[in-house]
Amino acid sequence: MKYKSQAVAKLYFIAAIGLFLGQILFGLIMGLQYVVGDFLFPAIPFNVARMVHTNLLIVWLLFGFMGASYYLIPEESETELFSPKLAIITFWVFLAAGAITVLGYLLVPYASLAKWTGNDLLNTMGREFLEQPLPTKVGIVLVALSWLFNIVMTVLKGRKTAISLVLSLGMLGLAVFFLFSFYNPVNLVKDKFYWWWVVHLWVEGVWELILGAMLAFVLIKVTGVDREVVEKWLYVIITMTLVTGIIGTGHHYFWIGAPAYWQWWGSVFSALEPIPFLMMTIFAFNMVNKRRREHPNKAAVLWALGTSVMAFLGAGLWGFLHTLAPINYYTHGTQLTAAHGHLAFFGAYALVVLTMISYAMPVLRGRAANPERAQIMEMWSFWLMTISMFFIALFLTGAGVVQVWLQRLSPTPMSFMAVQDQISIFYWAREAAGVVFLIGLLLYIGSFFVKGDSHAFE
Amino acid sequence: MSNDRAQSKLFPTTIWLVLVALTIATFSLGEAGLSGKGVMLTLLAITMIKSQLVANYFMALRKTKFLWRAIMFGYFIIVGGLIAMAYLMGLK
Amino acid sequence: MNPNLVNIHLVNSNSTHHKEDLPGDFAIWIFIFAEMLAFGVLFVAYAFTRANNVELFNASQLTLSRTSGAINTLVLITSSYFVVQGVAAIKRGLNKQCAHWLTGAFLLGGVFVGIKIVEFHAKFAADITMSTNNFYMFYLSLTFFHFMHVLMGMIILACIIVKARRSAYSAQDYVGVETGASFWHMVDFLWIILFPLVYIIR
Ligand code: HEM
Ligand code: HEM
Ligand SMILES: [Fe+2]
Repeated sequence: MKYKSQAVAKLYFIAAIGLFLGQILFGLIMGLQYVVGDFLFPAIPFNVARMVHTNLLIVWLLFGFMGASYYLIPEESETELFSPKLAIITFWVFLAAGAITVLGYLLVPYASLAKWTGNDLLNTMGREFLEQPLPTKVGIVLVALSWLFNIVMTVLKGRKTAISLVLSLGMLGLAVFFLFSFYNPVNLVKDKFYWWWVVHLWVEGVWELILGAMLAFVLIKVTGVDREVVEKWLYVIITMTLVTGIIGTGHHYFWIGAPAYWQWWGSVFSALEPIPFLMMTIFAFNMVNKRRREHPNKAAVLWALGTSVMAFLGAGLWGFLHTLAPINYYTHGTQLTAAHGHLAFFGAYALVVLTMISYAMPVLRGRAANPERAQIMEMWSFWLMTISMFFIALFLTGAGVVQVWLQRLSPTPMSFMAVQDQISIFYWAREAAGVVFLIGLLLYIGSFFVKGDSHAFE
Repeated sequence: MSNDRAQSKLFPTTIWLVLVALTIATFSLGEAGLSGKGVMLTLLAITMIKSQLVANYFMALRKTKFLWRAIMFGYFIIVGGLIAMAYLMGLK
Repeated sequence: MNPNLVNIHLVNSNSTHHKEDLPGDFAIWIFIFAEMLAFGVLFVAYAFTRANNVELFNASQLTLSRTSGAINTLVLITSSYFVVQGVAAIKRGLNKQCAHWLTGAFLLGGVFVGIKIVEFHAKFAADITMSTNNFYMFYLSLTFFHFMHVLMGMIILACIIVKARRSAYSAQDYVGVETGASFWHMVDFLWIILFPLVYIIR
């Protein structure tokens, strides 16, 4: 650890991993509810579990992004963090707000929660991913601003690099686009627009900047490749991302009441969105092939390469699968969407956070890399989680294809629930793969406690 | 063709004049209101020549690897070919 | 994908150009190929949509101004020619001449934009939008998307002109000029296909 203030990252990483575990547990609960409808009813209804699962996902990724940037920015800027104290206060505020919100979801009926938290004042609740009560939403904005402020002040007083510029831009975008969640028009068409401007512009826009910057940072560290080369790649990738991603928002306008030309604009531009993801993969492998040093942290290299491949598969390939309007006409809102959502979120954002943790955590604990045995365990956890998530996506894709056929394509279409019965085998298989995923995650957590001879700094 | 010719001062001007002439040809075919398979193919052929002149001499790809010229040519063959195919489908 | 991208830095700082290198920075070529792909898809989509609505397309096409389209083609071709001369000048180390040629190209870009705006205005004044019919959807999408590229190209040219005026390039270092030139030629290349496809072929 070069700068003392980087240590705040550790708190964030630990919280991220803890919440990640919570997310998976709720995923497994829901996965079971899919086939055993009354499991845990009425204690944890499906809609509540779903809310907790997806909200924990977003929150742990945000913890991961924040921790990662508190680690990364001092090193890039070659100066201490502007205010480690602010970072620590922000951490506790965010954790407390997150915990209270999840408890609220679990213990209070959603309608009462809405009433108590001032949803009548400003109606923002009730939409997927954006279910948070008003005070939590305001809290998220304040936390994001405090994070942004701390990072930008640090960048301003130190060295300015392409990586910190791109990361800051991504964070700014994250904060700004979240503001759309405060507007919930009664008109359903408009509502959908604003909803996608948060959800889509996050994952297929500004978050990709964060992803690119973090990947570039780790790759520079573990390969020792020239910074200028990496920076050029980064700029090309993010330009492509923004151009295709912003106009590509149109792939959500197909059937929501927007003008028909969006079927063309949305299809063509979103079809180009996989290109920056593909470039990221090529970039990562190129860097590693041209490496100028053998970094002792082999696990971090594996996570980084894994991120680039899985992001391409989940976002690029599985996204492309249903992004053309004539195909989306049949697949819209089916299990195919869930397959893509899982593989993309995991491949791009879960993995990039785990990559950063894998690289930074040993350093934060005073060594260049973990003991051999811990690394081997970490690599096992990588493979277990990645392969089981790939299988979750495959099973959901299978479920989706059969669903589309039976429910929408067949000359004698079946009703939604009748189809669900037909595809329950896929859901059982998904749940089994989910259990393997959980084992992988537990192994990952276990790897932090393995003792042995660790690699000292060179 | 030799490199010195491509680099001579007059050469780009010649290419430019050819492009102008071909544009006027395209425009005249349009003004004459002509249509049909033969006219469509003629227009596409003119377009192919124009696009490749720009790629090879203006973009200066002639001096680069074969691959890059092949991409530009292949691009036109695929795009132009599909345009022709779609046109023929529309004739019926 | 070209593994050379990793060596961009090395290639750039190389004063002597090998036969195989694409003119300009390799990064711009990634954009050029991606843009060509996007336009290519739209061109083909136009053609196949037309195949199903031949009468509608033929009738709507007649409302376009072929003369504006042809003049704009000549304008772009000529500006591309100026850019070629600009690159030739900088290869001989003549910053000033280079700036002059590129300024000419830039001004022609402005003429293109002006003519295009008049065309757009005529259509909007006639209450024609992207929702009017499929032909106009494609006509407006394609030409507007191309229009944005012209503006982008003009911004790039302007930056190069400013640098050339300050004699920032030399006979050894002119990658920046070639990079912008390549982008501008692409804008020309795409219009050369767009013009007959949308304005003429029927
Ligand atoms: C890391 C990046 C990405 C993530 C995390 C992601 C995540 C998601 C999620 C969670 C949904 C479901 C939203 C809902 O609840 O309705 C979704 C929908 C969709 N995504 Fe992505 N996505 C990513 C990238 C992409 C890319 C690059 C493409 C296109 C090539 C794409 C195409 C789509 C489409 C077409 C839908 C709508 C599906 C439907 O109509 O039901 N996504 N994405
Ligand atoms: C490992 C076991 C997991 C199981 C069993 C599981 C199960 C589920 C289920 C049943 C849903 C609800 C689908 C619906 O509404 O019909 C869901 C939604 C979702 N899960 Fe998971 N999940 C798991 C892991 C993950 C992971 C690791 C991620 C991301 C890193 C993730 C991201 C999501 C997202 C983004 C949604 C919303 C999808 C959409 O709107 O289409 N899940 N999950
Ligand atoms: Fe999207």
